[in-house]
Amino acid sequence: MALHISSAPPISAFHHLLCFFFHDTYPEMEYASSLQRQLASMKKNLFDQGYLDEQFYQLEELQDESSPNFVEEVVTLFFRDSSRLVANIDQALQKYPQDFRRLDNFMHQLKGSASSIGAAKMKNECTSFREFCNKENREGCLRSFQKVKKEHAVLKQKLENYFQLLRQDGPVDKATRSGN
Amino acid sequence: MNERMDPAPTSSGQATASSSTGPPDAAAGGGMPTEFPAGLRVLLVDDDATCLKIIEMMLRKCHYDVTTCSCAVTALSMLRERKGWFDLVLSDVYMPDMDGFKLLEHIGLEMDLPVIMMSADDHKDVVMKGVTHGAVDYLIKPVRIEPLKNIWQHVVRKKRFELKELEHSGSFEENQRESERHKRAMEECDNATSGCGENLKNIKRKKEGKEEDEQDVDEQADPSQTKKPRVVWSSELHQQFVTAVNQLGIDKAVPKKILELMKVAGLTRENVASHLQKYRLYLRRLSVPQHQDRLDGPFTSAQDATFRSVGTVDGFDLQALAVSGQLLPQNLSALSSGSRRVTNTGLRMPVFDQMGFLNSGNASSTRSASVQQMNRGLGYFSGFSNSIESRQLGQSHQLVEPYGNMCSQVGEEISGLLNLPSPQTTRSSLPGGISNEQVNRSLIMHMSQQGQQFSLSQQHENFHGQPFPRGQIFNGIGGHDSRLSSKFGYQMSPNDISSHISGRTANIAQTPMPGNHISASYSSVPEALYANNIHDSCLTESAASHYPLASSIGDTPTTGNVEALSNTSSLKGVTDLSNCNIYSELRQNKTQDWKLKTVNISYQSGQNLAPKQNNADFGSSLVAHQDSIATVQDESSRNTCTVRKEILSVTTEIENEKIECVAQRNSTILVENSIRLKSESMPDIKHQEVLYDNIISNDLMDVGKQQQEGIEQDDPEFFDAYSLENIPM
Repeated sequence: MALHISSAPPISAFHHLLCFFFHDTYPEMEYASSLQRQLASMKKNLFDQGYLDEQFYQLEELQDESSPNFVEEVVTLFFRDSSRLVANIDQALQKYPQDFRRLDNFMHQLKGSASSIGAAKMKNECTSFREFCNKENREGCLRSFQKVKKEHAVLKQKLENYFQLLRQDGPVDKATRSGN
Repeated sequence: MNERMDPAPTSSGQATASSSTGPPDAAAGGGMPTEFPAGLRVLLVDDDATCLKIIEMMLRKCHYDVTTCSCAVTALSMLRERKGWFDLVLSDVYMPDMDGFKLLEHIGLEMDLPVIMMSADDHKDVVMKGVTHGAVDYLIKPVRIEPLKNIWQHVVRKKRFELKELEHSGSFEENQRESERHKRAMEECDNATSGCGENLKNIKRKKEGKEEDEQDVDEQADPSQTKKPRVVWSSELHQQFVTAVNQLGIDKAVPKKILELMKVAGLTRENVASHLQKYRLYLRRLSVPQHQDRLDGPFTSAQDATFRSVGTVDGFDLQALAVSGQLLPQNLSALSSGSRRVTNTGLRMPVFDQMGFLNSGNASSTRSASVQQMNRGLGYFSGFSNSIESRQLGQSHQLVEPYGNMCSQVGEEISGLLNLPSPQTTRSSLPGGISNEQVNRSLIMHMSQQGQQFSLSQQHENFHGQPFPRGQIFNGIGGHDSRLSSKFGYQMSPNDISSHISGRTANIAQTPMPGNHISASYSSVPEALYANNIHDSCLTESAASHYPLASSIGDTPTTGNVEALSNTSSLKGVTDLSNCNIYSELRQNKTQDWKLKTVNISYQSGQNLAPKQNNADFGSSLVAHQDSIATVQDESSRNTCTVRKEILSVTTEIENEKIECVAQRNSTILVENSIRLKSESMPDIKHQEVLYDNIISNDLMDVGKQQQEGIEQDDPEFFDAYSLENIPM
């Protein structure tokens, strides 16, 4: 489990404490910890900037020895499905007249998925899109959807970086993690 | 510290649609796992792969045994295949192939499992919809693990509730308490998380537990009346209500006047108003085109047709049966002599009435004495179920919705009543699941006890060809088309109903028959419940013995319903049964005695619940004892008339089927046959719907309406004369 540095739930805090403890006790972990520090700060940013929310912690807590890459798997799955959904919405938006109901359904789906993984910003954009949809405001929908797409792309990139780093951190990370 | 719980031993990792491994340590039929709640068998349904994966993992963390499914239809078939395997279902609301609420209804109807809904949509009305459709809980996405840790309580609660239901059904105090709690819960909790889930469960429990639960929604909707005690709409009460409405005319019936006519102490105008609203919905549903194949449009035509065809059945004078009531004595003789009499008395009884009356004098006499009784008990539900049946053909779903719960309850009740020992309890979809079956059984049993069983339902079933077993039976009985009723003429009220119900539960093969079929059966149930109304119909001809209603319930195995019912314990209806008007005279083979409990119409439905529970299947079983003519001993010849009419109308469509069924005199309930005939698997939905009284009642209602000839007894939901044929079990 990644090191929770900021806004960490109690468990993470404890974990965090342990890691620091280890850092102090085992200097050879310095290297690992720098990577981990990097990871930690990356994560912190994601949370602080609102890309991720509480739900992401829930996912992390589900990860364990038997499913060590659970979070990454879920996120990958999410982006796979959501990309397809975004493409569908894009297509639907091109149509005229606008089928708002269908759009709303799509967006509801996207919102549900996004909220499941804790993609906060994306979720918010989805909500505002749905509001425009309800009012059948085509312009508003188009604009809002651009934002949705943007958030989607940004989050995807950030999480890809994060997991890449996480994989690098893997073995060492596991060692430290075993301390919990 | 993170909990690193080991995943449940049985499930694999993140495999979707992974099936659980072998049988759990607990009884496969739904007993609690030994390390409960660990090992709780959960079926997870969500079309979103991401959510599915996440929630599955969460459930595994809770040590539950998870099976995932991304398709509702698959989930339903999985549930059906492994009946009793799952303890709980978690389902998403918005799914592409099937609406989550529909799935919920189906599950409730067929398997009676607790279902938890999930959605990112947290609007109150959607949550409310979940509640009204019978969800035990509603979780808002994103789902956290904490609420999931508590979902096992729903399983326990449900089981306990069912037990309790059996013990004493319809405790008024309980209703009150529940309703109060319910109200408070609704007011407090917007999002039905597990924390608030309790309230929802209470609500659901209340809904399930009491047949007269329909007050739920009303009460919920009326926050100002938080402490108002719930009114339990018993069958007698409902019958009075319907009588009053009919007297006033459905269009002119206003709560105030109805209240005055009913003269029931303690009933408020609001109670009546809400009940009227539901009744109207029910009627509307009935009028929606249902099984076109059989009974198109007006019953009369159908009736005639059915009658005629019925008559041709082996000497079963179904029509006579249909006419039941008055015809009974004569019919019986006529029937026995093989002459067919198309007693096209133009019964314009509402479908349900007909159903009840469809004691097809035809050979299948048997049964449904118990059904009658059950019908009585079910009364209200039956009516609904009838409508359901009718709808079934059509949309049924809608019908089922509101009454879903009721149906289940009815089913439960019936089961209790029936106490039929049929071994094959088909846990068909009745919500009460087993209870339904049992109900049916018990109904059948009663019927058989009486002597012959008229399985009107069976016939209905056959005719309707509704694939769903349950519906089938009921259809046969309720015959939304009233065909059944007309055909059978004999209506066993309680028995019929029960047979209907049992039929339902018995997985009556859904004959292709349109929902009417089932409705018929259902309707019979309600009528049966309102023995009063049906009386006449029950009598129909002795041929009534041949009501294959029950038998038609298609699959013989399903007839097990009836049997299954036998096992049920105390059903509220039981007491009702005793009070049910059962025509004792109906007894062609002196197998069944239909005791007609005449409330209004003395309707005697020979309830001969032949030990062959087959009949029990459905209340619909019109007790068509040939010998025993459910003569409406009662005085109200008028009743008989009505009954007859009803029967006529009902039989229209059922006729054809019936004929087949009828031919099986004394065979297992015709219903079974019909069901078998129709065993095609009807869409689940239909199945479920059929089960639900709504359909039946709708059917009945339609029929009734169409045929309404100012028969005051027209109690659409009253199928008295269903005798369950000896349903081949």
